[in-house]
Amino acid sequence: MSILLFTATGCARCAIAKKFMAEKGLACDEHDAIGAGKERFGQFYRAHRGAVFRGKEGIEFPVLAQGGEIRQGVAAVLAWLQCGSRLDGFICRSESSKGWVGGLHVSRGDPGEAERLAGVLGVLKRNGLKLQLDTDGRNPAVLERLLRQGIGDRVVMDLKGPQALYPALVGAPVDPQDVERSMVLAAGFPEFRYETTVAPVPAMEEGREGCRYLSPEEIAATARWLKEATGSYRQPYFLRIFDPRATADDRLGSVAALSPGELIRHRTAARNYQVLTEVQTIST
Amino acid sequence: MTYPTIFPTGATIYDPARCWNGYTVFQAKEVGALLIDMNGGEVQLWKELHGMPNRILPGGHLMGSSGERSTAFGSQDGIDLIQVDWDGNIVWRFNRYEFIEDPGEEPQWMARQHHDYQREGSPVGYYAPGLEPLTDRGRTLVLSHKNVRNAAICDKPLLDDTLIEVNWEGEVVWEWVCSEHFEELGFREDARNLLFRNPNWLQSGGGAGDWMHINSMSLLGPNRWFDAGDRRFHPDNIIWCARESNITAVVDRQTGRIVWRLGPNYDETPELRRLGWIIGQHHAHMIPRGLPGQGNILVFDNGGWAGYGSPNPGAPTGFRNALRDYSRVLEIDPTTLGVVWQYTPVEAGLPFPVDANRFYSPFISSAQRLPNGNTLITEGSGGRIIEVTAGHEIVWEYISPYWGKMLRINMIYRAYRVPYEWVPQAEQPQERAIERIDVTRFRVPGASPGGARRVVAVAGVLPYRPDAALCVRTDAGGETAKEISG
Repeated sequence: MSILLFTATGCARCAIAKKFMAEKGLACDEHDAIGAGKERFGQFYRAHRGAVFRGKEGIEFPVLAQGGEIRQGVAAVLAWLQCGSRLDGFICRSESSKGWVGGLHVSRGDPGEAERLAGVLGVLKRNGLKLQLDTDGRNPAVLERLLRQGIGDRVVMDLKGPQALYPALVGAPVDPQDVERSMVLAAGFPEFRYETTVAPVPAMEEGREGCRYLSPEEIAATARWLKEATGSYRQPYFLRIFDPRATADDRLGSVAALSPGELIRHRTAARNYQVLTEVQTIST
Repeated sequence: MTYPTIFPTGATIYDPARCWNGYTVFQAKEVGALLIDMNGGEVQLWKELHGMPNRILPGGHLMGSSGERSTAFGSQDGIDLIQVDWDGNIVWRFNRYEFIEDPGEEPQWMARQHHDYQREGSPVGYYAPGLEPLTDRGRTLVLSHKNVRNAAICDKPLLDDTLIEVNWEGEVVWEWVCSEHFEELGFREDARNLLFRNPNWLQSGGGAGDWMHINSMSLLGPNRWFDAGDRRFHPDNIIWCARESNITAVVDRQTGRIVWRLGPNYDETPELRRLGWIIGQHHAHMIPRGLPGQGNILVFDNGGWAGYGSPNPGAPTGFRNALRDYSRVLEIDPTTLGVVWQYTPVEAGLPFPVDANRFYSPFISSAQRLPNGNTLITEGSGGRIIEVTAGHEIVWEYISPYWGKMLRINMIYRAYRVPYEWVPQAEQPQERAIERIDVTRFRVPGASPGGARRVVAVAGVLPYRPDAALCVRTDAGGETAKEISG
């Protein structure tokens, strides 16, 4: 199956992808999406609008299409070229820029593919890109491997909530020891922070329907868990506002959003265990 | 200003029949929180208890702070806000706003409180009938600091002002961060440009821009404007003023948005031009219900130097581009911006403008409306507190005798008058009128009495003219005086 590759003039990430392909002996049909291939890309975009992400800074290149599959961003493109869809869980689209690659979710992929993941990320790292790894605590062995190999410049740990609610918030069984191990491992990377989105949780009380937001007490319990697991009360811990528009869970789309001011009580509660807790109003 | 080297301190003027008699509390420089009676008698000193400001609560309780953060790392950050009883026992403390780890210092929680706070029950923290602050429960609004970055304002770190609400348990339950409302503050392009380059840069703590310097904060409380349907003046809304920007504003408590604003520009409407440029002001607040002038805004318009804007000869870069060498106390109708009452050098009886700077405090200071219509004015930089009648007569004057050893100044940040009943522990003092001293005849020991020993007549000299010209125009009845008289 032939490879269709859209690049952009001056795009360093596109150059990394092309170099990778050259080393693998892979040929492609390349078009400069902002130069001579603009019209060709326009046609492609209109036909695959749902599969090509356009962020605040425009469309991230390279974009690859092969056999009905589309991959966007240098990490996803390299992963596809390396091993097809095996790393799909780990690598999503990246919204990071200025030398950073994001969308690398340690917890979401098959831990049996850790070696291949490390291989792809290693290529990016050797080509001068900085890697932000995201984890919700699952797959600590993968995180440990990346730490050991010096892959990963920043870890953002999405601490879903208190231990008792963790499986419900993740939507899958979770071993609390995995989460605790990841908390400790995260602190070993050059940059790291812990975040909790003050998210809606299904009402678990008998006879109640709908959902409610994580309470200040539950956020305090989360901060306490972080303190007990890492032995530190001064971790960089941030609370995030849940955005109903961005959720993939249809049940939560109609939930009214909180304002930053409504998180002050949560922050106050969290600071009983993590003194540096802040409400994160601007994404970084 | 011409200050004599020798002058009396303590109470210097007192007319008991025309005063609203009570105790006065203030922070005596480097001494502590001092409660005095009308004759200047020192009723009680809470030794070395800091306060910005100190306030008496009913029952003889006092609010203040146990200390300040090192100026190597912060600026005017109060470590905590505390309430102590008559015997100095701490009955309430708030410090859990920010965990601070200054190099070489013990890590600790700090309130970072500065300039103001308000205990539930009283919108402004001073006496008004039926609006007494709670002493054993209730929430406290606190004006605090927070270090932030906000690229829309400046690429440098900013020392920001925050309004926070704290419950009786000392937990922060509400926060308003000034920098998040930058676009609502009305800065023109010249001011924005200057702010970006120089946000009032302070060296302390590695450097930060004290870009607004909010120096007062109070609730509006129940008022006639809201009763008439003007939602901007909801009793829960908060009024603050900021000396560096010359802005006074009201924040909607529910939305956080600024719903009423005075400044930073005073040349954009006829009403503002009539009001004149308010500069470096302090203690802007709404006169609480039950007091004469209720609903009007009372503010000590310092003058001095403040603001951001275009360069002028007095401000070559445009930093602190508004300048004036006298102060004004203004009572303003917030709906028309008309001046209802004022105390300026003209009302003080000073030849204007040549002697206007004798009523002048370029920083700190305050004004409190009293139940009989008098106004207690703290002319802070000179350590002077005066009570003036609605007709502008001084009926009480006190000069602080406390000069700091580290900073040689007898400044008073802000004084408050409270009723005797608020301090039941002290026996109500005897009120003794202080006869007005004729300073033309007053001499210190060793000085000769007045009057020439020998007088000779010179033939042909003319009598002094009532309209004698000075080197500068003296127009107490002229255009400039009209401008400041509104």
